[in-house]
Amino acid sequence: MGLPLFNSMTDPGPNFFEYMQSVGHQPFGQGAMDEQAHATTVIAVRCNQGVVMVADRQATAAYVASRDIRKIEAADRFTAMAISGSAARGIQFIRIAQLSFEHYEKMTSSILSLEGKANFLSPIIQNNNFNSPLYVVPMLAGFDPNHNTGRIFEYDGAGGCYERSDFNVIGSGTQFAEGALRLGFRPDLDLEEALELAALALYEAGDNDPSTGGPDFVRHIYPIMVTLTKDGFQEIEGDAVGERFRRINDRRAESRGIAGGQLR
Amino acid sequence: MSNSFYVNPEQLVNDKAQFAQKGISRGKSIIAAIYDQGVLMLGENTSASLNKISEIYDRIAFAGVGKYNEFDRLREAGIRWADNTGYVYSREDVDARALANFYAQHIGDVFSEGMKPLEVEILVSQLGNKLRPTKIYRVAYEGTISDEPLFAVVGGEAEEVKRRFALTTSSVTSLVETVKSAVLALTGPDRTLAVEDLEVGILEDKGSRRTFQRLSDDRVRELLS
Repeated sequence: MGLPLFNSMTDPGPNFFEYMQSVGHQPFGQGAMDEQAHATTVIAVRCNQGVVMVADRQATAAYVASRDIRKIEAADRFTAMAISGSAARGIQFIRIAQLSFEHYEKMTSSILSLEGKANFLSPIIQNNNFNSPLYVVPMLAGFDPNHNTGRIFEYDGAGGCYERSDFNVIGSGTQFAEGALRLGFRPDLDLEEALELAALALYEAGDNDPSTGGPDFVRHIYPIMVTLTKDGFQEIEGDAVGERFRRINDRRAESRGIAGGQLR
Repeated sequence: MSNSFYVNPEQLVNDKAQFAQKGISRGKSIIAAIYDQGVLMLGENTSASLNKISEIYDRIAFAGVGKYNEFDRLREAGIRWADNTGYVYSREDVDARALANFYAQHIGDVFSEGMKPLEVEILVSQLGNKLRPTKIYRVAYEGTISDEPLFAVVGGEAEEVKRRFALTTSSVTSLVETVKSAVLALTGPDRTLAVEDLEVGILEDKGSRRTFQRLSDDRVRELLS
């Protein structure tokens, strides 16, 4: 490939996705496969300092395809992308989102707003999900430095983008996690409370949804937990996450699997 | 049938070169210099928003002098090329030498085939790592590419600035020393420059993937004090 120069009429501007299409890349082409790996549960919860997110590590096809896949990645300093659905498309999606935000920043010397990032993804999701059975449903969450608050954006399969004021779950474990979140959520959660609630909700999803992996104490593979605050995207270290899930697990063992009451 | 008259190619090239030089000499100079921790790019720019120095990729920076619209389009093309190369292969595979070569080819093509040569000169800097060396490439208006060992200057008084910079700096030193020498070389003995009229960018490893950093006026003031 030579130097990608355009004249002022055909220039794709700072939009990397449009540029890719203009030179014939089709990152989300059509096509189907029988045995595709699926990524499952990701949870985001708003709190007074921003947003916390947690995701399980399992990818499933007709079997456990991966036990340590990462479904949350930093899209840039203050933003995280999470995926559910086709693992192949989801990972592609994260790469393109990361690259597009950085590309915009370098081209224009300004950072795209969080809402701008959320809207940017809509047509890409729509384009993929209408043309391919490799369905992907992502989630975008981050700390919005322009408005000094954490924000969560969810998408439906048609690319519709909706901002959530409380929490959001994507993936096959949604209904189980959502139950726990509904009971535990308060608008004034602090960071630690939000992390505990999100971990508990993921534990529930792992307990009930066969495609969602819980904490793996045998292999020491634990869910990914991240915080998005004024300090940016920060991932919590694996041992600390393991410790948190072990405490939940111990309580659950004490109650012999009963999820209610003091031992919740 | 076209009615073109014979023109001596030597005459043509000389005319074009003179034309491009005239355009470039109206602009201010930019210095790129290697210091002990990275690469400095420093130039005179009275605008705080129309940048001449810019990030291209994780370890690559760009500086252009001459006509703004012409070098800014090259800057954009460079970012596209780098982002695309890193996407298709890997971030490790994006190399400043390849980019500088593309710039040289394009600028050379326009010089020899176009109606009007580009009135630009370009610097491409790369911060080295274990895969690649730290480098400064200079691409001139007619497409000549050169690989400068310690520092390079483009713009109006390039030769003069280069001479002055070489007088104060003969080897790699600290950022502070390099910034001071660069500013002295730009201004010469008879002139001073306000910090607000300087544009400064560096490539330096500070633990993150992207190494380009634009230095604020306060930071530059601190370095010069």
